[in-house]
Amino acid sequence: MTLRATIVGAGGLGGPISLGLARTGIELTIIDPDVVELSNLHRQIQFTAVDLGAPKAARLAGSVVAHGGVARGIVADWTLARADEISGDADLIIDASDDPETKFAVADWAVANGRRYVIAAALRYGGNVMAGAPGVACYRCLFEEPAEVPSCADAGVLGPVVGAIGSVAAAIALGLVHGDRTYAGALLAFDDLRKVAEPRVVRYAPRPGCPACARAPISPLAAPPVRVAEGN
Amino acid sequence: MPSIRIPSALRTFTKGAADIEITATTVRDALSELERLHPGIGARLMTDGTVKPFIRIFVGADDIGELGGLDAKVSERDEISIIPAIAGGSGA
Repeated sequence: MTLRATIVGAGGLGGPISLGLARTGIELTIIDPDVVELSNLHRQIQFTAVDLGAPKAARLAGSVVAHGGVARGIVADWTLARADEISGDADLIIDASDDPETKFAVADWAVANGRRYVIAAALRYGGNVMAGAPGVACYRCLFEEPAEVPSCADAGVLGPVVGAIGSVAAAIALGLVHGDRTYAGALLAFDDLRKVAEPRVVRYAPRPGCPACARAPISPLAAPPVRVAEGN
Repeated sequence: MPSIRIPSALRTFTKGAADIEITATTVRDALSELERLHPGIGARLMTDGTVKPFIRIFVGADDIGELGGLDAKVSERDEISIIPAIAGGSGA
């Protein structure tokens, strides 16, 4: 059976995630509206100067294919209005965007449609990776609603950090899509990768009244709790 | 003495310190003491006495929501973690 994944964002996180999954046998759909800019190159190492001005999604999909994978690039925003069209056949969806609204939209869609998902974010020297699956607390249980939080454009990000966080997200996604629920419903928080490479792994309960979980085909409040290894 | 792990985005309030030792028996006391020691940080964490929706607080690996909320007990060797939502990763 062919497994399929959507990767939302072809930038600093989307690059290592896509290339990390390139030769795993998973068919990838990579979606991003942007073109490659000079300011991207220090951390989006999937691109070089010859890619300047080209659509990120198309170039990254081309790199995945060049590495022996199967991928298509869509030059557009991932929105709930087009989610079923773009990701309807996906077994897994990964958010690698830098937009809080998109992260919540991806998570909400995945929960409502019973899909496994990973939400990745990186900022300054660290980042977070959250793994979601049917029957466990969701991203909205964790952070409730989008907020004005700093982005890389505001606060910056160290180039190697996005590679590290993206690689972790890819590894967890690979486990999730093959049925490993070790980190389902958990958040891996990397505080400062210059100093500590090991994440804190924290778990959280479903939030009663969570509107996303209310639409889930499997209620996390009715599912058995998932235990995960505790980090430092 | 329990400690609070400060996320990097808020270390401007703590002069760069990542870990702050606190005298407290509950999470609420710990956050009050943190604000006393480092004025201004409390407003980034809480509104009207409740934790902001994009901030989560853990004692060890456990969400305080499962431990009694802000009244969750903390003991000498506990580490309180503040984990904010972050959004970076893709754009320009």
